[in-house]
Amino acid sequence: MAYIWMLIKSLMAGAKYTLGLFAITAVISLPLGLMLSFLRGSKSRVVRGLVSGYVWLMRGTPLMLQLCFFYYGLAFIPYIGPYLAMGRFPAACLTFILNYAAYFCEIFRGGLIAVDRGQYEAARVLGLSRWQTTWRIVVPQMLRVSLPPISNECITLVKDTALVVSIGVTDLLFFAKAAVNRDVNATAFVVAAAFYLLMTFGLTRLFGWLEKKLSY
Amino acid sequence: MELISVSGLKKTFDTLEVLTDINFTVCQGETIAVIGPSGAGKSTMLRCLINLEKADGGTIAIEGEPLIKNGVYVEDKVARHVCRKMGMVFQNFHLFPHLTVLGNLIEAPIAVSKLPKAKAIERAEGLLGKVGLLDKRDAYPSALSGGQKQRVAIARALMMQPDILLFDEPTSSLDPLLTGEVLGVMKELAREHMTMVVVTHEMGFAREVADRVLFMADGVIMADGTPEEIFDHPKQQRVAQFIASIL
Repeated sequence: MAYIWMLIKSLMAGAKYTLGLFAITAVISLPLGLMLSFLRGSKSRVVRGLVSGYVWLMRGTPLMLQLCFFYYGLAFIPYIGPYLAMGRFPAACLTFILNYAAYFCEIFRGGLIAVDRGQYEAARVLGLSRWQTTWRIVVPQMLRVSLPPISNECITLVKDTALVVSIGVTDLLFFAKAAVNRDVNATAFVVAAAFYLLMTFGLTRLFGWLEKKLSY
Repeated sequence: MELISVSGLKKTFDTLEVLTDINFTVCQGETIAVIGPSGAGKSTMLRCLINLEKADGGTIAIEGEPLIKNGVYVEDKVARHVCRKMGMVFQNFHLFPHLTVLGNLIEAPIAVSKLPKAKAIERAEGLLGKVGLLDKRDAYPSALSGGQKQRVAIARALMMQPDILLFDEPTSSLDPLLTGEVLGVMKELAREHMTMVVVTHEMGFAREVADRVLFMADGVIMADGTPEEIFDHPKQQRVAQFIASIL
């Protein structure tokens, strides 16, 4: 018991990075994805093309590869490389934000498609501006449709954070591995699993509550 | 006073000419029924009036202010101002599903006209009483019948205090029983001399309530007259055939 308690305490140091990465990614990539989904429906073909190219790239390559690229790869770019190099944790955050924004963009796009055209027309004949229509009529309806897949994606995000161990970020998995190697005992993995489960459980409850709140 | 005047209105979808040459006027307080076979361009004409559809030529003026003049549209800002004099009721209601009945009504007056919330609620309750749905004030649209939804939609349009109400087949997705309650509200509005343009397949309503009936076919207004002239003494054979086929 004392051993498990000791493990919990030492894994806390890693949980800080896991939770931090999750929170930073979610808080920035969700609005970014929302913005991208609007740009994807832009009137300009160039803007539409750029966004779908971006989504294609970020969804079409492994997250692990992107991590390596942003942490190890950027520095090798001629001339500007030295200015782009960054620490492990910032590189991890940047990669996760860019990657997840692409997924969220696609989820929000699905939600946008689900909003009936008649809603835009009704808002228009009532005199609502485009901005008002977007925020007061479209987004609330689109969020309801998007929430279940968003919830799913956020749970995946919690688990994907473990990938940062590959670029040496001292997250939960990093400390668990270290403890297992040090003590020749797999208990640390079980404790780490409990940490992840606790986080995903909390998220499931949070989204369940949100879904209820947004239902009509 | 002429509230709506339309001349030489044209609209083409790709190669299909939907409106060839539309000319008519609507005076204050008139109830106009627009009838005719499917595909005649009735809905398209109505949607052009309130700028949901862009015409390709002609002139539309609302209360003397042009929306499009000889095929040239006014600036967006002016167009919005012109269209604010009109409200519209759709075949499929298009209520906002995420808002309660009250929310549907007060949304635009608060957001667009900057009406204080208390005033908006007062106005909303008055109108809900008028359409007989005050008890549904806090219900969501999904809990309403089709007829109730359409009555809420009419109240929502009235919240903006338009001078003109446009109806695009307001009862076409309702069964006969529910049609009656919606037509009842519209009759009441006609009695109060609300200016209305109603695209409809309800010949009973056109005959009984409308001051004038426009018969549209093939992108033009073939006949324009009182219900008696259109229904009892149609001059054109095409009109007579249509009337005979539906009665």
